[in-house]
Amino acid sequence: MFLIFKRLWQVNWAEQWQYRANLVMYLLYWLVSPIIYLAVWTSIATSKGDVNGFTANDFVTYYMILLIVDQMTSNIIIHIFGYKIQDGSLSGELIKPIHPMLTNTLVNDIAFKTLNLMWLVPIWLALAFVFKPDFSSVTLGGILFALPAIVLGYFINFLLSGAITSLAFWTTRVFSIHEFYYALILVFAGQFVPLKLMPELVQTIARFLPFQLFMYLPIQMIQGKLSTNEIMQGYFTGMIWLVVALTLFTFTWRRGVRRFSAVGA
Amino acid sequence: MLSGAKHLRSRLRLFAYRLRVTQMKNMHTLKLLSAFLKVNIQMAVAYRADTVVNILLNLMWLGWELLTLSIIFSNTETIGGWGFGELIALLGVFRLVNTLMIALIWPNTEKFNQSIRDGSMDYTILQPVNSMFLVTFSRITVWRIWDLVLAIVLIVIGINISGDFVTPLHILTFILLALSGVIIIYSLWIVLIALTFWFTRFDNNVTILQALLDAGRYPSTVYPVWLRIIITFLVPIAVATTVPLQALRGELDATRIVMFLTIGVASFVLASRVWKAGLKRYSGASS
Repeated sequence: MFLIFKRLWQVNWAEQWQYRANLVMYLLYWLVSPIIYLAVWTSIATSKGDVNGFTANDFVTYYMILLIVDQMTSNIIIHIFGYKIQDGSLSGELIKPIHPMLTNTLVNDIAFKTLNLMWLVPIWLALAFVFKPDFSSVTLGGILFALPAIVLGYFINFLLSGAITSLAFWTTRVFSIHEFYYALILVFAGQFVPLKLMPELVQTIARFLPFQLFMYLPIQMIQGKLSTNEIMQGYFTGMIWLVVALTLFTFTWRRGVRRFSAVGA
Repeated sequence: MLSGAKHLRSRLRLFAYRLRVTQMKNMHTLKLLSAFLKVNIQMAVAYRADTVVNILLNLMWLGWELLTLSIIFSNTETIGGWGFGELIALLGVFRLVNTLMIALIWPNTEKFNQSIRDGSMDYTILQPVNSMFLVTFSRITVWRIWDLVLAIVLIVIGINISGDFVTPLHILTFILLALSGVIIIYSLWIVLIALTFWFTRFDNNVTILQALLDAGRYPSTVYPVWLRIIITFLVPIAVATTVPLQALRGELDATRIVMFLTIGVASFVLASRVWKAGLKRYSGASS
């Protein structure tokens, strides 16, 4: 099994490496929103002193950490895999004795992510030079607490996106469904603003959803802003959702593949 | 004396003839435009369910945009010197520009890049119509037109909430500046895709435009200086969003209004020059 992953990594890394120039454009595109939010909220915090306890520096560090965390927990499965189902090129992969989504696509996504993170380093340093974040509240303990949350967030997101991508077996409008999923992430993950500044109702719903593990919880752990109780609660909800996501994914995938063969035959 | 009158008459006849030719050309262009619209409406009707889903998604994003504004203003009264009503109006103006992008610029860029790759650009150039016109209007995402209505509603509501005093002159300058802002962005787009004639492997030609578009959601006064410079001079998103609204609020003096309008005209002239020069460079995909 390890050998398979090693070989897949070599192939997918080489594949992503071909697109390195395109990746920079993609990164620039993806960077703009967080920087805009950073500018908006720091300008408000500077004029008022603080926003509900968040100082200008809190916002700067929040979005600077968000750039890294978001890159780590997000995925591009719908783009890697959606077309394969629609144009039938999935057939070739189905013959192989390994799960197409949980091996090849997973490794391809991680290769994409690694390359992005490599590009992000110089850009991030340049931004840090411009915005001068003060990271004094960040502790090693906070980062260690956050790492498992990031991994958990990544896998929940991967499995949920995988389940949605599998809907392509039934409908051609899978990209619209994915757009809706993306909107849910925007609202409940804390990309626009730290969840604490959202309306009470949104916060309550967010506590029962997995999305805050994608950005808000890991960022706040790194910033050292969460109590042990909140961290435990976050992990607990996350574990439940990991099971839910895995079930949803296996269900849609199995049903979908069966359907796919039926059409192809 | 007589010959003078004759001369004048023939000059007049020539003028009338030229006028008719331009009229016919304009008629021709209008007819083409309506034909393009017809084809694209038919496409939208053929994919009815998609159109409905897209409209629903669009409403969802509007809801999200209004939610973000309400969150911002539950924490502050002004942002960059602008109030809640003004940001609603700005959202309207932003959506105008955004609609232009989504309904016209992105689909036609896709088609253009494709036509450069496979050489079908040859056929576009051979048509007896202005090629810039063809490249701009051959694809139109028709259902987006309702977005224009929505944008205008947002602008009107926003101005009402803000309680700003608006004169007819302000409205006129607003419309003119919004138009010239859109023309400036359009010209930049023409230049960017024309660059493909020089550098064929330039598929990312519009990413920079797409990326910075979101900066138009907020008044440019919020941003740090370097970002403000970029979105005002390099990729002038702010010129099409913040600036017209400033005119509507009566914040711009006559010199600046004239300056922005001149830049609008100049950039269009420049863009069509670049386009023509690019066409001369074009040699087809096979050679």
